[in-house]
Amino acid sequence: MNIEITDLTRRFGRTRAVDGVDLRTGTGVFGLLGPNGAGKTSLLRMLATVIPPSSGSMRLLDLDPARHGPRREIRRRLGYLPQNLGYYPGFTVVEFVEYFALLKEMPPREVPRAVAAAVERVGLGDRAKAKLRTLSGGMLRRAGIAQAIVNEPRLLLFDEPTAGLDPEQRVEFRSLLRELGRTSTVVVSTHLVEDVGAACAEVALMHQGRIAFQGTPDELVARGAGHGTGDAPLERGYSAVLAAVRV
Amino acid sequence: MTGTALAVGRRRHAGPRLVRLHLTSRQVPGGLALLAGCAVLLRVALHLHWMPDDGAAARQTLLLIECAAASVVAVAARTPFGESERATGPRLPVLRLAASLLLTAAAAGSLALGAAAARVPGGALGLLRDVPGLAGIGLIAAAALGGALAWTGPLAYTVLAELALMDGWRTPWTWPARPAHDAGAWWCAALAFAAGTALVAARGPRDTGGDG
Repeated sequence: MNIEITDLTRRFGRTRAVDGVDLRTGTGVFGLLGPNGAGKTSLLRMLATVIPPSSGSMRLLDLDPARHGPRREIRRRLGYLPQNLGYYPGFTVVEFVEYFALLKEMPPREVPRAVAAAVERVGLGDRAKAKLRTLSGGMLRRAGIAQAIVNEPRLLLFDEPTAGLDPEQRVEFRSLLRELGRTSTVVVSTHLVEDVGAACAEVALMHQGRIAFQGTPDELVARGAGHGTGDAPLERGYSAVLAAVRV
Repeated sequence: MTGTALAVGRRRHAGPRLVRLHLTSRQVPGGLALLAGCAVLLRVALHLHWMPDDGAAARQTLLLIECAAASVVAVAARTPFGESERATGPRLPVLRLAASLLLTAAAAGSLALGAAAARVPGGALGLLRDVPGLAGIGLIAAAALGGALAWTGPLAYTVLAELALMDGWRTPWTWPARPAHDAGAWWCAALAFAAGTALVAARGPRDTGGDG
């Protein structure tokens, strides 16, 4: 198991953003669904070791992120695309990705090849020398994905990765997700259920800090049979689960 | 070789490359230019006798220039990358520490250079105490409020120090108001600088969203 969390809670003041979540997952693509404010981003930030949990236990890649040494090792093998991607507009795409490769302690000899491969994988090869300030929102998102995958991480965390991508780019990204999921644990937080259906082997639906459903996309579809609202089967499953927990 | 591979090129010296990228992302070259501007301003102020030769009023103008230099150090602590950078390895605290030390040294050094061969109110040695101390206050503000608001720390402290100058406070915590040979004032300034650099190196500036 690359992610093992038990009774994980994160409070911000009186608000419980994540409330007693249990989760275990290994290699593959794991979708994290839920409405705005469900706790997806807070859970992802804890998995990214950016914020500590208020209580509960967490093991990532069989290591304890609460301890300094293991946390360093986890971060070397981690890729993280936050919801709000920060960037320095004066950097080129290559400089941006290279900076993260060096920060993640990649062996210096491997960095040029890894940077070139990551930039190519997200389809920015022809804009490699372009300054980030000249890129569109979708291209910036792809540069963000490139920095996350440059170290070929074993644990990849994407928060709303398809925001700003056009339909063609989203299809390509889902294909990349499936490819990455063959060797790594990939957690994708999104409120776009079609991304989950196309790329994820397992899915969890969060509501008010808790996991309201966990299973395969097919099982989520089954929850919506004869219930729920929405145009697509997954959307009906999504709305049926949420309707049930809101009662 | 693909176009991307050509754009990346072959780079052997990863350490200097990482330092260069980090300093560029913190706009350190621009910060150094601003510090040079502060030094020129000090030189002009001394040359044109904008400051009286002695007394509290003489220190007040100098203190404002020190505050500006310290604010440059503090604001350079802001990160454009936010959480994606915080989720990386242990090189980041070292880089943050190096950037803070470099800019503080540049701030104190450039002002000392600007004051060279001139009579500085309170003595040139005072510059080397006051600027790092004020920079430390700014770095503490960066850790507490975020890099974009880090300048408020030196500014608020400067207002306090100006009051201390006018009213003749004797506490070493308002070190700019104390003579250059006051050991207690040196200790307080050093403590503020150590606390600020340690906080920013270990935790980084507060992530306010506005920082990136």
